[in-house]
Amino acid sequence: MPQSAEHVLDHVELFRGPEYQQMLAKKKIFENPRDPAEVERIKEWTKTAEYREKNFAREALAVNPAKACQPLGAVFASVGFERTLPFVHGSQGCVAYYRSHLSRHFKEPSSCVSSSMTEDAAVFGGLNNMTDGLANSYKMYKPKMIAVSTTCMAEVIGDDLNAFIKTSKEKGSVPADFDVPFAHTPAFVGSHVTGYDNALKGILEHFWDGKAGTAPKLERKPNGAINIIGGFDGYTVGNLREIKRILELMGIQHTVLADNSEVFDTPTDGEFRMYDGGTTLKDAANAIHAKATISMQQWCTEKTLSFAAEHGQDVLSFNYPVGLSATDDFIVALSRISGKEIPEQLARERGRLVDAIADSSAHVHGKKFAIYGDPDLCYGLAAFLLELGAEPTHVLSTNGNKAWQEKMQALLASSPFGQGCQVYPGRDLWHMRSLLFTEPVDFLIGNTYGKYLERDTATPLIRIGFPIFDRHHHHRSPIWGYQGGLNVLVKILDKIFDEIDNKTNILGKTDYSFDIIR
Amino acid sequence: MSSLAATVQDIFDEPGCAKNGSKSEAERRNGCTRQLQPGSAAGGCAFDGAKVALQPFTDVAHLVHGPIACEGNSWDNRGAASSGSDLWRTAFTTDLSETDIVFGGEKRLCKAIKEIIDKCDPPAIFVYQTCIPAMIGDDINAVCKAASRRFSKPVIPINSPGFAGSKNLGNKLAGEALLDYVIGTREPDYTTPYDINLIGEYNLSGELWQVKPVLDELGVRILCCISGDGKYREVASSHRARAAMLVCSKSMINVARKMEQRYGIPFFEGSFYGIQDSSESLRQIARLLVERGAPADLLGRTEAVIAREEARAWAAIQPYKPRLEGKRALLMTGGVKSWSVVSALQEAGLELVGTSVKKSTMEDKERIKELMGQDAHMIDDMTAREMYKMLKDAEADIMLSGGKSQFVALKAAVPWVDINQERCHAYMGYAGIVKLVEEIDNSLSSPMWEQLRRPAPWEALAKAREQMQSMAAIAGDPVLAETARRARNICVCNRVDLGTIEDAISVHGLRSVAAVREHTNAAGGCCQGRIEDMLMSEPSDMRQAAE
Repeated sequence: MPQSAEHVLDHVELFRGPEYQQMLAKKKIFENPRDPAEVERIKEWTKTAEYREKNFAREALAVNPAKACQPLGAVFASVGFERTLPFVHGSQGCVAYYRSHLSRHFKEPSSCVSSSMTEDAAVFGGLNNMTDGLANSYKMYKPKMIAVSTTCMAEVIGDDLNAFIKTSKEKGSVPADFDVPFAHTPAFVGSHVTGYDNALKGILEHFWDGKAGTAPKLERKPNGAINIIGGFDGYTVGNLREIKRILELMGIQHTVLADNSEVFDTPTDGEFRMYDGGTTLKDAANAIHAKATISMQQWCTEKTLSFAAEHGQDVLSFNYPVGLSATDDFIVALSRISGKEIPEQLARERGRLVDAIADSSAHVHGKKFAIYGDPDLCYGLAAFLLELGAEPTHVLSTNGNKAWQEKMQALLASSPFGQGCQVYPGRDLWHMRSLLFTEPVDFLIGNTYGKYLERDTATPLIRIGFPIFDRHHHHRSPIWGYQGGLNVLVKILDKIFDEIDNKTNILGKTDYSFDIIR
Repeated sequence: MSSLAATVQDIFDEPGCAKNGSKSEAERRNGCTRQLQPGSAAGGCAFDGAKVALQPFTDVAHLVHGPIACEGNSWDNRGAASSGSDLWRTAFTTDLSETDIVFGGEKRLCKAIKEIIDKCDPPAIFVYQTCIPAMIGDDINAVCKAASRRFSKPVIPINSPGFAGSKNLGNKLAGEALLDYVIGTREPDYTTPYDINLIGEYNLSGELWQVKPVLDELGVRILCCISGDGKYREVASSHRARAAMLVCSKSMINVARKMEQRYGIPFFEGSFYGIQDSSESLRQIARLLVERGAPADLLGRTEAVIAREEARAWAAIQPYKPRLEGKRALLMTGGVKSWSVVSALQEAGLELVGTSVKKSTMEDKERIKELMGQDAHMIDDMTAREMYKMLKDAEADIMLSGGKSQFVALKAAVPWVDINQERCHAYMGYAGIVKLVEEIDNSLSSPMWEQLRRPAPWEALAKAREQMQSMAAIAGDPVLAETARRARNICVCNRVDLGTIEDAISVHGLRSVAAVREHTNAAGGCCQGRIEDMLMSEPSDMRQAAE
């Protein structure tokens, strides 16, 4: 018996047993097996430049795309408001995906409902689903606000959210003055970062511009506060907390919009929190009076920022600031806009990051990196690598556009370490696979899906991005701010040293350099 | 068997040591270790010295007899690469506890030796004495002797407890142990006329392996290397070598000289750091071997290899020249490295602004002058603070030093390359010097330095504002302006300001740099140009008036 009740083996161990190995070998015979030599030949062929050319000529097919759809971003933004239930109008299967995606990354429950549209709804329109859905979720989950977004299904048949919500309210699904902001978030346009932008803009529009005609528009009375928008970010928990700490250190009056740092990191103390933390609805409304709105991620907030600018605010966006210069720029901007001094504590934190870079940069210097991920993240990481003297070589963003490509290229052109780097907007991880085979690099930075690239191309993977499913808790530590820069540096260095160890650990063969001091 | 004190005395009276030779009788009796000053920072102890000197013998079990402190803090801390056994990396210690110290640790030591033999059966065990068992009177010589007999295995006492003195003394005590117990106890399987010993070479980062192919090509066999990548069998039979090269004279001169005395093995002191040095060492090896009866064609073959390797190395350095041209380097190392890498660095376009001579001999200093000119800035013993100042004042673009000064350079935000023991790269031989130049280039071109030096952007703003204010103040006040002008340092090394030199020039009517040196503290080395400028610009009527 391969399994015994006293010592149950899990799949990692169990199927290595001879019984299973034999079974799997026999099974193969009945599966029209290919000649192993032919399999090997094709495998080798996929590593060639010839294959790469064919791969890059691909027009209709995406293989392992590194992006998700708009509603995921909408849900992510929506949970960042006080007791807000994200409500996705459309088919329920999509919503199950967003929930599992977020749960697997944050290791937290993810609350989100759908209007569960079926075939009937697709033919006759989803009004009934909206009416019933709003009524049910209002009764069952007692939210303070329901933020509506859409799946493709609702978008294809052209459901009018504004009208539907109005009708639902008239039918008594939710009280007339209950906040139901909405955003159209079709998956066939943009990606999750666009969805984030649309949802956030929808919510601000709701509060600032008269709640879809049911209330007077707010009149802006400028004060000294600053609004901060994090954007779609796998490190939202650590990062937003770090940003808030910095703002508090500087004594800046602020509102973090879509602050989901609590709901994705609830304590275990016997109480289930379906909602936790978040920007209060009052703050969301009052955010109109702020002096400025700062976005940490340009491509997550293009519409939201122009909306804020239209209301007379100063707006400023960063591209996922990681490392020394980027953080400097951010801190100086905060100081400039708010007129507040930069406190000694931040200067010391800066000095510590500088110190750490000096101590270790020789190990990073000249190492070649491939990066993929969301456009802003790619930009921020590439900028930090250049700062360390590393050489970004391939930067790929499936949801990056032409403007992103140009901005990326300008960044790379600004440093001698970026000269050998190519930028790939709209490409996928199968393209990356070809790149890693034909133009190998020392390290790959990406999300969990990068582990297949790591296995196939033997390029060590440094996990920074979203989603990270197979490593736990990294989202709790910041990668923004000077402390965050230090965290990123350590992640990179750990992998570099692990690699040196891996290359020198064969007993009696390569272990002459298996040293304890690096 | 002599006592530890007698051995130490014997080591201090080293006739092979040039420094010792130049001392008076009384000075010689005082020994050559500088007395440690309580309360000041100090380096490693004699135990550490003995351990690092012998640890690279790879197949030996190194057993440290003492409480956990000695081995617990130090095991496997040197990157001496091994081509075979990794036993040397394993930490063996008797880990003495309170009871052992009350009742004596000899039995425990004996048991430990037995356990090592049962477990690993190494060709030999080196037992290191440490302070505590030495103080309570554990006689490791006797235990080792008994254990050798009982287990029919060489068990060698290394009698170098920490309190005996400095790390360097420990190196030599380790050498004494080899001379007393190991060298000459076995015969090699065969000998050739091309057998040499390398003494004081530790194969850090596998440096020796970078040189070995050249020796192999010439047919020169390293019979034994003490101790980098060495084996017990090799050192035991090393007395049959035809010649020896002393690589680090500071650590093992006693071994080389006594082997010459006892076994007639001639030695020379050489280095594989730098191109000319590598060539010179190869020539010396060939010369000594031929003198001892090797076929004379070795000389010609050696020259051919040297010519080829040199050409290759110079060619490899050339491409760096335009990138490194005019960059100023400060060399904080000592010993042979204080000059042996200089010419290669100069060839790569670097300008050497100073080199430390703390561990260098007179001969070393002569070589420095030869290479860097009479005005070479030789730094005897620079404190971290002075070093920091020099770097901070941008006297140098890059510092090459050991790990100890690393953080000084980094805090001053000046590029730095590690050329001592913990370095990650091997710099020995022809390939090594090219690697060194490459590392310098890497370090200089790292974008991080600029970041490091740049103050926080908000500080720069504040500073600019402050400067504006003070400039306005100076502009409005001629006295303040004059004080500021005169306060500028002309000689950075000895910190002599412009005012002092100006006064000296006008009061004494000085006309040459030499004269300025005479009348002020100015060194006239790196500041020569600035002083010349001052001499040129000094109003002539002033000079005339003074005359």
